[in-house]
Amino acid sequence: MSARVRVLGLGNEILADDALGILAARELAKLFSPDQVEVVESSESGLHLLDHVTNVRRLVVIDTVQTGHAAPGTIFEVREQDVRAAPGTAAHGTGLFDALALARKLGFDVAQEVTILAVEAADCLTLGGPMHPAVAAALPQVMEQAKALIAAP
Amino acid sequence: MPESTSTRRITIDPITRLEGHGKIDIFLDDEGQVERAWFQVPELRGFEKFAQGRPAEDMPQITSRICGVCPTAHHMAATRALDNLYKVTPPPAGRKIRELVYSTFMTEDHALHFYFLGGPDFVVGPTAPPAERNVLGVIAKVGIDVGKKVISMRRRLRELTSLAAGKAGHPVFGLPGGVAKRLTAADQVRFQTVAADAVEFAQFTLEVFENVVLKNSDYVNLILADFFTHRTHYMGLVDDHNQVNFYDGSLRVVSPEGAETVKFAPEKYLDYIAEHVEPWSYMKFCYLKSPGWKGFTDGVESGVYSVAPMARLNVADRMATPLAQQAYEKYIATLGKPVHHTLANHWARVIELLYAAERMKELADDPEIIDPNVRTIPTAVPTEGVGVVEAPRGTLIHHYQTDERGLITKANLIVATQNNAARIAMSVEKAAKGVLSGKQVTEGLLNMVEMAFRAYDPCLGCATHSLPGSMPLEVRVRNRNGETLSILRRS
Repeated sequence: MSARVRVLGLGNEILADDALGILAARELAKLFSPDQVEVVESSESGLHLLDHVTNVRRLVVIDTVQTGHAAPGTIFEVREQDVRAAPGTAAHGTGLFDALALARKLGFDVAQEVTILAVEAADCLTLGGPMHPAVAAALPQVMEQAKALIAAP
Repeated sequence: MPESTSTRRITIDPITRLEGHGKIDIFLDDEGQVERAWFQVPELRGFEKFAQGRPAEDMPQITSRICGVCPTAHHMAATRALDNLYKVTPPPAGRKIRELVYSTFMTEDHALHFYFLGGPDFVVGPTAPPAERNVLGVIAKVGIDVGKKVISMRRRLRELTSLAAGKAGHPVFGLPGGVAKRLTAADQVRFQTVAADAVEFAQFTLEVFENVVLKNSDYVNLILADFFTHRTHYMGLVDDHNQVNFYDGSLRVVSPEGAETVKFAPEKYLDYIAEHVEPWSYMKFCYLKSPGWKGFTDGVESGVYSVAPMARLNVADRMATPLAQQAYEKYIATLGKPVHHTLANHWARVIELLYAAERMKELADDPEIIDPNVRTIPTAVPTEGVGVVEAPRGTLIHHYQTDERGLITKANLIVATQNNAARIAMSVEKAAKGVLSGKQVTEGLLNMVEMAFRAYDPCLGCATHSLPGSMPLEVRVRNRNGETLSILRRS
């Protein structure tokens, strides 16, 4: 049976700013019971994300991103359909969009609504590195936006 | 779109099949010919400092988080380093369960790689429009049923890894001296069932490769093309019979002529391998101490070597399982030995897929696999340990030194891409010279340069999950002064 809402926290808790998605998922897990919201964290990339995009109606992904065009801590809220970058048309990030496109193409039960909360990171390459203060400071706002997405009708 | 040469700068977006961000710079001389090409990939920093002071026993858990692509490889290399650190040998069942899980992982990773990472280049085709060179293009070519078959196989393999190792994405079963959990008779049946199907699946994949790639003379010519060829040394793990082994054995090096130059126990790696540093790159380039660093050049006199599927098949005398051996013989009969064509990595990978599945089946069928004795408790005082496995992308080395309490004082990692770095740099440059020289720069030609890079499937610092629109790989064409000349956007 498909869950109604799943939060997918992506990132790596030992890689400086990349911890954000994982930390947000853990905080959200404290606020909801598993039957309300399924909270998943993953440090994997690529098509491994296939496991997390199916058998759910609404998917909220929290991750870091390095666009290089925004200040650290900037939050991007992006719906899947806003991204004109599905495989077959243009560029797309590794993993999530490939996984979504592949799962749809193969006729799996894929999340109908996918929203990504992506936070601009300063450093995702230093093992054990500290989080940039602006990225850490974005966490409460990310939580608020995630809660709003979870609660939306 | 390309404009006049003096104002163009080339940016290639969709290298999304590689996990992470890479950068290729192509420098042109005054006549517009390729003079030099460099590549750089962002690597993780600070591992040594991060590891210092931590209990060595934590390393299998910590290092499995280093890479979002192959956590199992790091987990296993770290676990093997702990065996070496505590001078402890796992009991037969503990050893076999490890290799069973590792074979399961290699089967999964190689299958995914062939279809979805390499597939866009070879299954869809090197000159296909960029919009088709992705997972959907592969599905369009091989059919939805095959796509479902691949994904279903992947899911079943991962379920098994989770069953034996705790969690496929973050295994926790490796301990110094063995594993945390035994396999039951019921577990064994599950492994046997999936392993039998995996062997069939691998045979099917080999057929796909033969039908789609080998029967297409354009692809075969591309594999054989001079600009995808380097006559370097090769290194990989072999067992006592010089057969390919992913989990255990000695590191064997063969020359560009195919002769064994050295075979050594993994803990001796520092006697044979050193790292070269270039001012233009923060990457380190591994080379063989004998014959030494002679620059980015191939041949017997150069210390440049490479790892990964093609290298493993070059250093081995044969495959350890019957079906893989048949496939190996055909590969050697077609390409000779050693094979120097970088793109042959894709073929070698499919042969290894078959070996991994067969090995998985052998181990699953082994009565000893369900023996409850899966761990030898370590008693020695730790000092230093090295663990080596063959990760899907090549030799992976973990090296720890500790104090007498087992707290890390020094740690070193060599990942596959460092072993391959010099050859990758040479490949990118040679491919750029081979395909870009004197020609109009087109997406198809640039894709050839990228293919040279992608054939190694470099491990990048895969920390950032990039949103569409960011640039996982950037190819820039510059003039001698370093000024950027060209850009080509696909949007």
